[in-house]
Amino acid sequence: MKQVRVVLGAAVAALVVVVAATGCGGGSDSSNASAASGGDCTPGDSPVITLAAYSNPYDAYGKLTSTFAADWKESHSDQQVIFQMSFGGSTTQAENIVNGFPADVYASSTAPDVQIVQDSGLIAHDWTQDENGAIVQAGAVVFSVRPGNPRNIHNWNDLTQPGLQILTPDPSQSGGARWNIVAAYGAAMRGEVPGYAKGSTEDAQRLLEGIFKNVTVLDKSANDSLKNFEAGNGDVAITYDYQAATSIAAGQEEEIVAPPSTVFIQTPTVVVDKNAEEHCVEPIADAFVKYLHSPDAQEVFASVAHTRPIDITEAKKGTDSVPPIDDLFTTDDLGGWDTLIKDTVFGPDGAFTKAFAAAKG
Amino acid sequence: MVADALTRASGRARRDPGAPTRWALRATAMLYLGLFVLLPVVVILQRGYSDGLTNLKDALDNFGAWNAIKLTVVMAFLAAIINGVFGTLLAYVLVRIRFPGREIVSAIVDLPFAIPTLVAGVMLVALYGPSSVVGGWLEDHGVKIIFAAPGILLALLFVTLPLVVRSVQPVLAELDREEEEAAQTLGAGSWTTFRKIVLPALRPAIVAGGLLVFARSLGEFGAIVFVSGNIPNKTLTAPVFITQLLSPGSFGATGGPDQAAAVAGLLFGLAFIVVLLTEKLISGRLERTS
Amino acid sequence: MSQQAHAEPIAPRGRPASKPESRGRAVRAVLVGIALFYVLVLIVAPLAGIMYYGLRNGVGAITDTFSQPDVRHALYLTVVIMLITVVVTTVLGLVVAFVLARDRFPGKSLLSAFVNLPLAVSPVVVGLMAILLFGRGGWFEPFFSAQGIQIVFALPSMVIVTIFISIPFVIREVVPLLEELGMDEEQAAWTLGASRLQTFLRITLPNIRWGLFYGMALSAARAIGEVGAVLVVSGQVQGSTETATLYILRAFDQYQAERGYIVALTLAAFSIVLLIGIEAFRRRSLKRAGQE
Repeated sequence: MKQVRVVLGAAVAALVVVVAATGCGGGSDSSNASAASGGDCTPGDSPVITLAAYSNPYDAYGKLTSTFAADWKESHSDQQVIFQMSFGGSTTQAENIVNGFPADVYASSTAPDVQIVQDSGLIAHDWTQDENGAIVQAGAVVFSVRPGNPRNIHNWNDLTQPGLQILTPDPSQSGGARWNIVAAYGAAMRGEVPGYAKGSTEDAQRLLEGIFKNVTVLDKSANDSLKNFEAGNGDVAITYDYQAATSIAAGQEEEIVAPPSTVFIQTPTVVVDKNAEEHCVEPIADAFVKYLHSPDAQEVFASVAHTRPIDITEAKKGTDSVPPIDDLFTTDDLGGWDTLIKDTVFGPDGAFTKAFAAAKG
Repeated sequence: MVADALTRASGRARRDPGAPTRWALRATAMLYLGLFVLLPVVVILQRGYSDGLTNLKDALDNFGAWNAIKLTVVMAFLAAIINGVFGTLLAYVLVRIRFPGREIVSAIVDLPFAIPTLVAGVMLVALYGPSSVVGGWLEDHGVKIIFAAPGILLALLFVTLPLVVRSVQPVLAELDREEEEAAQTLGAGSWTTFRKIVLPALRPAIVAGGLLVFARSLGEFGAIVFVSGNIPNKTLTAPVFITQLLSPGSFGATGGPDQAAAVAGLLFGLAFIVVLLTEKLISGRLERTS
Repeated sequence: MSQQAHAEPIAPRGRPASKPESRGRAVRAVLVGIALFYVLVLIVAPLAGIMYYGLRNGVGAITDTFSQPDVRHALYLTVVIMLITVVVTTVLGLVVAFVLARDRFPGKSLLSAFVNLPLAVSPVVVGLMAILLFGRGGWFEPFFSAQGIQIVFALPSMVIVTIFISIPFVIREVVPLLEELGMDEEQAAWTLGASRLQTFLRITLPNIRWGLFYGMALSAARAIGEVGAVLVVSGQVQGSTETATLYILRAFDQYQAERGYIVALTLAAFSIVLLIGIEAFRRRSLKRAGQE
């Protein structure tokens, strides 16, 4: 009957709109040819590389991707590579990739986050054996304070002074947060913090507890945390030195104070093999990541992102934007990320786990 | 008249628009809601509760979990009460009192529907946060709003204000004034009249509005994630906690989508019951007034 | 049903005010004062703040913002999602509204409950639902990835979650109208020989017109303002899966706060104009109807 047809027609029309949007959306988001399983693939004229990065280095990657695309075009018969970029909390990005975000390259802020992606099977090769251990950026954990350092913050123990308001991000969403915690833990364990005995896990825990008693806000990413501090909230932010340096270069009024002992931040950038393969862009993705290790790219990181050299001896000396550090240690010096995460710091009996429960319980 | 008689004469068959159309409409409605509402709900419940209550228990074992839920419920309740009172006041003022700018205020009340919640959050921080004029002054006097519980409440009040006003306003506007005028001629004061005659008539609408505020507040994320500080056991709310559950590995906890689903199911189960109650109240009111 | 929309205060005119009346006036003034103060602190101040921060650098900042390709794409994406959402929730919402208002069958109250469910679900959870259905390991993922269609972290999932959260608005506005309307006019039309469709278009639709438009406006405003759910499912790819609200988030993140405020103002202005416009038309049409 006519009425039935009209009703069904309207309903079908509405559903068609949805499906069409689905089809259009799905289609237009990847102008790549897809690899049939096991088959050959040739990338299209404008291959798309999707980059998922942690929150901080948006300016650097903006420049690096456009330089790389221009160079590639010249050397590869006008093939125009298009980069699609997403920036967010390192762990959130890792989780998204595991949940289906089609990233071809993952710029993480910590090795454990890359591990999350590797454990899901999307990274097939041992990325720790990549060039420079896959590390493309380096820095150190420092304190960002108000001009003139009114609260006199010079070392980790100064963070435990009563009434101080500290900003640091949420460890469940931000890689930066974990760097901050490991830095405090490591400094204490190495005996570089007055009042905290070398090698004493109880003391390290005590330091963390004192610090987190003073933490007033847990933002979802390292970037958010520093922004919050710059908005006038809190007395000190624990942050990456290069992030603070970027802010200062952008005109923010804050000072970097480097503690005598802190952790050497090493951020890895890795090709997500399975995705890159599926999108037929693996050679380009590999080339891009390789490019990140070149002197030119490292120069961009240094000038735009204010990072340290990735060689630790050079890094200790500091740069124009970031101060020198006396005792710069790596996560390997503390037993490696695996031990730190599963056991000593973030494990069920870990120093941070217990400290946080005591501070916030 | 004739149509009514015919209707009554031929019973239900006349009211229905014809069986095939009726079935087509029903099928479409069920397909639409089934795909878009039922299915997502089922997937959450399946992921969260296919192992019975283990996922929920594990999730609640996480640091700060219980307090997140408690805080969320308490805040939602407070928002419902406060906006219940002020929303009714606003509705009364808008309907019964002529004052200059009434139309503008009426439009302003609807604004929270138009502003993205995250923008509201940002603005509240900028206006009342520690680095602002107002917020700084308050903090000097020991009152902390932003990054403390009051900030959460403020964000919720902003987001939910229209709900009560729009619930009460139509009922108030249609209220028959005879009883009130009778009471007044018998010597009752305005407040007594309001308390004994107007308020009882408005009660279902106020409660319905308040319940909507409650349900909405249980789930609010965008505004709160900016203003609260997200400190476990202090200012961490359940929706933010669910986001954290999706990233395992913090505080030595497990987390994961199954646990997140379990807590999510609990949260919207609670809110859903509330919304159902609201519907009962509203349809009860409709039946009474028609 | 001939009550006016706004009732008059009680005191009759043309007499000097007596003591209880002047007290009444004072009370009313106080009430208005409290109400205005509440609205001022809660709503006007934040809105004024957004306007101040967004507009203080004048037109130059506005043109600069709108010249950014990211901004333009984000606004375009938001509009696309909004349009699809409004079309789907209106057409299918009308179907559901008719079934709820006019039909009777076992399980109808369950249907009604489902309509209201989206109001109870946190946006974050909505995003989670989409991931569980369409993400890796999700129920529908094998089917769609075999077709080469990307749902999560792409437009389709963003549309789907926005539809979910917008479902109730049209339905909740239209159902009471349909119920109040009754079927008298429609039945009269049928007995006079009009077809169902003609009746629907010429009689029912005009009668529920303003409620329907208001529901559509609410739906549209909700759709463009959504942030939590699209945050979870979009992947936030700049210039691609970034809506206006997600752009605002990023703008604040990346030291472009002013652009964030300007885009926020744009969204707010659009929604406000929509809602107010519909309200104004409705009141005018009620006035006109009252005069006939």
